[in-house]
Amino acid sequence: MPIQFILNGRSVSIEADPAMPLLWVLRDILGLKATKYGCGRAQCGACSLHVDGQTQRSCSLPVQLVAGKNVVTLEGLCANRSQPHPVQQAWMEENVPQCGYCQPGFMMAAAAFLEQFPNPTDEDIQQHITNVCRCGTHPRILRAIKRAAALRKNV
Amino acid sequence: MASEKKIFSRRKFLIRGAIVLGGTVVGIYLGKRPIRRFLAQQIEGIEPPAMLSHFQPNFWFEIQPDNTILFKSPKIEMGQGIFTGFAMLAAEELEVSPEQIKVVHADTTSGPMDKVATGGSNSTPSMFVPIRQVAATMREMLCQAAAAQWGVPRSEVKAENGTLQAGARQATYAEIAAATQEWTIPKTPALKPVSEFKYVGKDFKRNDLEAKVFGDPIYGIDATMPGMLYACIIQSPFYRAPLKSAKTSEAASWPGVERIILEKDWIAVVAQTRYAAEAAMLMVEAEWDVGKKYEQEDLIRMVTVGQGKGVNVQEVGSPRRILQVPGGRIFRQEYRTPMAAHAQIEPNGTVAYVEKDKATIIMSTQSPGFVRAQLAASLGMKAKNINLIPAFPGGAFGRRMKTHNAVAAALVSRAMGKPIHAFYTREQEFMYSPCRPNTHHVLQAKIDDNGQIQALHYDLATPDMAIEDNVGSAGIFLAGADIISAGHGAPVIYNIPHKSTDVWHCPYPLDTGIWRSVGMFSNAFAVESFINELARETSQDPIALRIALLKSPEKLHQRYVAVLEKLREVSRWDMPAGEGIGRGVAFGDDRKSIAAAVVEVSLRSSRVKVNKVTMVLDPGLCINPEGIRQQAEGCIMMGISAALYEELKVKGGRIYNTSFQAYPMATLADVPEIEIVLLPGDEVPYGVGEPPLAPIAPAIASAVYDLTGKPQRSLPIRLA
Repeated sequence: MPIQFILNGRSVSIEADPAMPLLWVLRDILGLKATKYGCGRAQCGACSLHVDGQTQRSCSLPVQLVAGKNVVTLEGLCANRSQPHPVQQAWMEENVPQCGYCQPGFMMAAAAFLEQFPNPTDEDIQQHITNVCRCGTHPRILRAIKRAAALRKNV
Repeated sequence: MASEKKIFSRRKFLIRGAIVLGGTVVGIYLGKRPIRRFLAQQIEGIEPPAMLSHFQPNFWFEIQPDNTILFKSPKIEMGQGIFTGFAMLAAEELEVSPEQIKVVHADTTSGPMDKVATGGSNSTPSMFVPIRQVAATMREMLCQAAAAQWGVPRSEVKAENGTLQAGARQATYAEIAAATQEWTIPKTPALKPVSEFKYVGKDFKRNDLEAKVFGDPIYGIDATMPGMLYACIIQSPFYRAPLKSAKTSEAASWPGVERIILEKDWIAVVAQTRYAAEAAMLMVEAEWDVGKKYEQEDLIRMVTVGQGKGVNVQEVGSPRRILQVPGGRIFRQEYRTPMAAHAQIEPNGTVAYVEKDKATIIMSTQSPGFVRAQLAASLGMKAKNINLIPAFPGGAFGRRMKTHNAVAAALVSRAMGKPIHAFYTREQEFMYSPCRPNTHHVLQAKIDDNGQIQALHYDLATPDMAIEDNVGSAGIFLAGADIISAGHGAPVIYNIPHKSTDVWHCPYPLDTGIWRSVGMFSNAFAVESFINELARETSQDPIALRIALLKSPEKLHQRYVAVLEKLREVSRWDMPAGEGIGRGVAFGDDRKSIAAAVVEVSLRSSRVKVNKVTMVLDPGLCINPEGIRQQAEGCIMMGISAALYEELKVKGGRIYNTSFQAYPMATLADVPEIEIVLLPGDEVPYGVGEPPLAPIAPAIASAVYDLTGKPQRSLPIRLA
């Protein structure tokens, strides 16, 4: 039985083991590589994406659980590069990434977080965004999320 | 390009590349003791060799039809920002804007190859001159080509903003390049002096920013090849234990599994998807031929001063005699650092396609040349037939110095006749970790009746971190100890009349590797903590004591003092710390890149919280201050992480905390207020990827001591 869902605004239908994590469906079947493997245990957040607007860690999410749902990955966060999402805009203005590998997960987590916390404090961010970064971009991520909150209001 | 004359600075490069070797040869005649001291000091003072395979500009640059310039970097961009700095340096001599230069990794068959590796904070110092030389030569080639095309004297042609001009004539670099059939490589023109730089010293954002913010598939794990299969490669969780037996029938029947391959020390589960390979891998029951199964306590006992072989790497005056004669008093302390993991987020792995007489390898690696040589040996193939295409690593920190599963992936590809994508799981990434080994440090000082420090002796016990991988067992024999890691911070820089350092080279039953800052992390923790304790012991201010011990007319020492004085000012050191705040300071010099920090801590629910870090950093010439600040911030966060949380643990002969949950690291909740002041103190750049890490852990330890009255002599810091 094919599994259908909406991916970045388009309907997709895939043939896969229903237990296959969404991460591998995206990366290896659909060829979308922005969602990263980090731990496979939903601990680091490198694979974060949105399912019906909520942040989910896709490495531990069987694809059957997103059947009929709306999935957004970093590739679908903005329509095109000349109109980046406020989070991406803020990430560029703060020059956040170093190796960059964990950043898609952080940006996806931040984008969903800002829907819930449009005026976040540092404590809100620290409590709700628990992704792992090894390069030490944390200080800039904190700044970028607050900057993104300000940018959203100006849109 | 025809008629190339290979006169391009080749001789100079070769001489620079031979510094270490030259030292070794001298040492054989002098005997082992002086050579060991010589080598240890070389690590501190060495001019980094640029061992590059090609010096012709056409190997480095490609002018694109749209007049952008492709720069093929032999060094790896693993997050440290070198591609941005390289573009800035090349732009200075090419007379284009840095934005016009697109920096990519050189693959091993069509670009300049780095015969060492990317690491040791050496990329910018070692490439500072070569990049500008090739860029200047390229510019001169373009000017000469334009002169020839236009029939005007060379002196009339000027290069500016990516165009060539002579009187009314004008053409872009791309136009001239397209119309030129034959090139000659001229003598390298004189380089611009620092005072004429247009871009160096200004803030530039990363040139890989857009790729990283929009999620481009630039990492090794993102690579694909047509018809690619996926493999999970099981290695022994016990270091160097070969495979004894394996039950694979259940795994082999898992849907999508193509084949299971057993080798002497690995098993490959090959499948149509990564998901199937990983699921089937969990069904393999492997038994390894393990000797003694070591426990945590064994490793601590093995790495103790007095164990293994002691090697003297510094000897000034007669410290041993001074420490033994009566008079004054002896102050002695011991310190320990734990085993740690690199824990970069992208796991190691390889995409390999081995055909009959050639191979293509895509990999996130710090050492393409080393990996290619290992592959050539294992495949029985000429190195030139193996194209290693470096990807952007998703973090490295020393973890990507080794080959990991590249050889296994290549052999699997050959066996299957198809491209193979083989990456570790997170659990494997921790389990197979070439860890930063635990260390032990003993420091003794003689304090005379006036409170002056007369003598200091430092004993460092460490397993090998680097030397065997880099120079082989002959290197260990000659050096006697791992001077590559020990060299970072083991010789004491303070001007104490009598001082010495012995390094105890301890045998170790686990795989080890270089971890960001190499030996500096542990040496700085011990030596700087001891200096802080000496200051307490003699009732001196720790910054004033350091300045007193570092003051000298030597240029490097003047830079030391300038950094400390600036730190005292910007950290408001002379004002009392706030209520409930502990304060500590530490200093570090890693190959002339100088970093000092003041840290303020408080207790939050009886845990240590770093509130503020003030750092003064003198990395010599600042190429891109924005990039330097990024590296300093990264070192501050990694230092906090290592000081407060990180410890790999061993049980039953294997590393057993193999997840991010079991190996916690700093998070957003640990971000302190950060103030970084850059104090460029030289006309050449030194590294910044690692040196700012040195002062963080000892400054935190000292701040916690200040706050709680309890000394912190082992990491990670634990209050209970």
